[in-house]
Amino acid sequence: MGFVLTTLIFAAIGIIASLCARICCNKGPSANLFHLTLVITATICCWLMWAIVYLAQMNPLIVPILSEGE
Amino acid sequence: MMQWLKNLPEMDLMRSEKMTFVQLIIPVESAHRAVSYLGELGLLQFRDLNDDKSPFQRTFVNQVKRCAEMSRKLRFLKDQINKAGLLSSALPTLQSDVDLEALESQLADHEHELIEMNANSEKLQQTYNELLEFKMVLQKAGSFLISGKSYESAEGRELDENVYPSDYPESDSTSLLEQATQSGPSNSSGLRFISGIIPKSKVLFFERMLFRATRGNLLFNQAPADELIMDHVSSEMVEKTIFVVFFSGEQAKTKILKICEAFGANCYPVPEDLTKQTQITQEVSLRLSELETTLDVGIRHRNAALHSIGVHLSIWMNMVKREKAVFDTLNMLNFDVTKKCLVGEGWCPIFAKPQIQEALQRATFDSNSQIGIIFHVMDSVESPPTYFRTNTFTNAYQEIVDAYGVAKYQEANPAVYTVITFPFLFAVMFGDWGHGICLLLGALILIAREGKLSSQKLGSFMEMLFGGRYVLLLMSLFSIYCGLIYNEFFSVPYHIFGDSAYRCRDDSCSDAHTVGLIKYRDAYPFGVDPSWRGSRSELPFLNSLKMKMSILFGVAQMNLGIMLSYFNSIFFNNSLDIRYQFIPQMIFLNSLFGYLSLLIIIKWCTGSQADLYHVMIYMFLSPFDDLGENELFWGQRPLQIVLLLSALVAVPWMLFPKPFILRKLHAERFQGRTYGVLRSSEMDIDSEPGSARHHEEEFNFSEVFVHQMIHSIEFVLGSVSNTASYLRLWALSLAHSELSTVFYEKVLLLAWGYENILIRMVGLAVFAFATAFILLMMETLSAFLHALRLHWVEFQNKFYGGDGYKFKPFSFAALADDED
Repeated sequence: MGFVLTTLIFAAIGIIASLCARICCNKGPSANLFHLTLVITATICCWLMWAIVYLAQMNPLIVPILSEGE
Repeated sequence: MMQWLKNLPEMDLMRSEKMTFVQLIIPVESAHRAVSYLGELGLLQFRDLNDDKSPFQRTFVNQVKRCAEMSRKLRFLKDQINKAGLLSSALPTLQSDVDLEALESQLADHEHELIEMNANSEKLQQTYNELLEFKMVLQKAGSFLISGKSYESAEGRELDENVYPSDYPESDSTSLLEQATQSGPSNSSGLRFISGIIPKSKVLFFERMLFRATRGNLLFNQAPADELIMDHVSSEMVEKTIFVVFFSGEQAKTKILKICEAFGANCYPVPEDLTKQTQITQEVSLRLSELETTLDVGIRHRNAALHSIGVHLSIWMNMVKREKAVFDTLNMLNFDVTKKCLVGEGWCPIFAKPQIQEALQRATFDSNSQIGIIFHVMDSVESPPTYFRTNTFTNAYQEIVDAYGVAKYQEANPAVYTVITFPFLFAVMFGDWGHGICLLLGALILIAREGKLSSQKLGSFMEMLFGGRYVLLLMSLFSIYCGLIYNEFFSVPYHIFGDSAYRCRDDSCSDAHTVGLIKYRDAYPFGVDPSWRGSRSELPFLNSLKMKMSILFGVAQMNLGIMLSYFNSIFFNNSLDIRYQFIPQMIFLNSLFGYLSLLIIIKWCTGSQADLYHVMIYMFLSPFDDLGENELFWGQRPLQIVLLLSALVAVPWMLFPKPFILRKLHAERFQGRTYGVLRSSEMDIDSEPGSARHHEEEFNFSEVFVHQMIHSIEFVLGSVSNTASYLRLWALSLAHSELSTVFYEKVLLLAWGYENILIRMVGLAVFAFATAFILLMMETLSAFLHALRLHWVEFQNKFYGGDGYKFKPFSFAALADDED
């Protein structure tokens, strides 16, 4: 599905999650900033994990060699 | 950009609450009430002004003693209730202000009454035991005596015949022999006896002792008692043996009695006459039943008294605890010169000031005092305590951070990021969405039963587990995500996100086992391609992937740590730190390991065959050589030389300038000043004796220089070791995956291969146990620990001070947690 497209999907999910957090628990500016930080950190961590695994498989140097009895 | 950053509101948990040092001047009549109200509020930490006095020199020592005495009585009552086996049913707290002195006298009465009742029932119980023993002795000894009597009568008749063979004229002078044999009609053959009861364990020694003492001139009969008897010394049921000793002579009697006393045997006189025996037995039985009823009534009476006490007990204990705490706090205050007021000092958060003032006003009003309580802000030299306002969710994370070290006043709190990165790094090491679902179920159960479990008293392991239930929830959610990325469900991959990107080279798949498959499509859209599982080249691929992933995560987290130190420097207006610590640190870390991360990403994107080990090592060893086939992008060699030079420059940059500049600044500030700083007269001179010395302290240059050197060396060497330390993310995830594979293939699949249902069941059970105990418990703890270490050491040593102290306000709520 392409690297850029999926990255945009992650960004969209992050924005939706922050909006949900703002709607569900709106407790003042300092608390809102804290919730926003949590959501952004989580989005970045998840995206980073996905991106690393995706990039590693884009141009692999080795291929799967099936073992006996498969 | 900087303006916008500065105008952002303060983030909730990022820095500790602003604290202020306050002084209270309380008139004596409203002191007790004021301190109680402050205790209910729980937002003021009192400072102990009477630190140097022993507990006995303090003002309110008598009240504290009385409270301690009352709590002792309450503990005694609670013990008695527990011993009687009554369940303490507490009434819902009716907060009637029971007067403390009334309570004191009430408790004294209760204790006295209870002690009396206990003593009485003891005595009754002892009498009961003795009567019981007597009854048993009567039963068994009677049978001995009957058999003994038959001997006696036979012997007696013989003796009579021998003694009186002929008819003697009745004369007064009967021979001595006659007199001897005729004397004591009840002891017909000169045999007397002692009957009694002794614990079974001592019978053997007892018999031997008697034998030795009487030189064998005795007859010892014994029989075990039918029932167990309560031994009042050890208050447990013991087996006893009933004995009858036949002997002759007065001296033997005294010896035997003494031996009985020594061995703790109780002797009871048994009449020889059978009718008398039955009569006495009946009497004893009657008295026994009387005593039983009396004892029962006594116990019921006592239980009723205990029950009525037990209803109020927890309220009373709470009250006494609170009073003791109030008096302990009052002991921390000082009397002022006029002896009419108490002076106290302490820390409180700035947001709490109105609440405290309101509580103090209420105290003044409630105690009908004419004088109000003075509450004002003071300056303080020492650093304020650290106070974070956490909710149930963030509390667990704050405790994890505090376990390493409490944050210094108002420095950046790593807990803000730990909330997400800690479960995330756990998940990187744990990634398996099957196991993640199990953890999620566990966490959801704990959270669903939150209300019930929080009021119960849990074991220490369950307590930790329950306290960390939200951490566990996030850990499980991230584990499910990482499990989907690693494509492992109990180590089995699935084609959830579409077909694999690999297929055989031709239709016969002839060389799939030698040369392998080929990639005919774009990379698998989400996660690791399912074709890798089970192949021979799985480990080389996954190892390379996970190692590089660990390095990337490590460099990212360490950069985040250094950025937090930048924000700390901005907050504390420490431009020296920014220029001579933050910038060289960023340059050093990123020119080496940031560059490595860049190389990794470029290699992945281009599919180059360059050897990154080779590149990094020869960047240092021979930077000017031609790169040859290790060239990943154009201009790599000049870039490497530039980066190497900047790293080399960064080291003295973070080492040398700061101490010299500090010395210059210090000289400028105290140039020509030899007198102490003028202090306001309000400040208590005694309480800060060190302040004068503190400001005029000699600037110890060598100390500062060595400190900076240690800091720099730690950073430089640490950057290599910390980056390598992140490889534990790879190591643990490999271990988890391999364990999971072994259990799946070698246990479950092996057992499932057989047709026998029993073997299949056994295999399933072993698989379930192994998964639950080794993978779910041990691996969870292991990954938790390593993620914790990564946070505490590698992340926090980039910016965290952690040498503050926690805010411990005087609070009644905290008391309840403490004591239990």
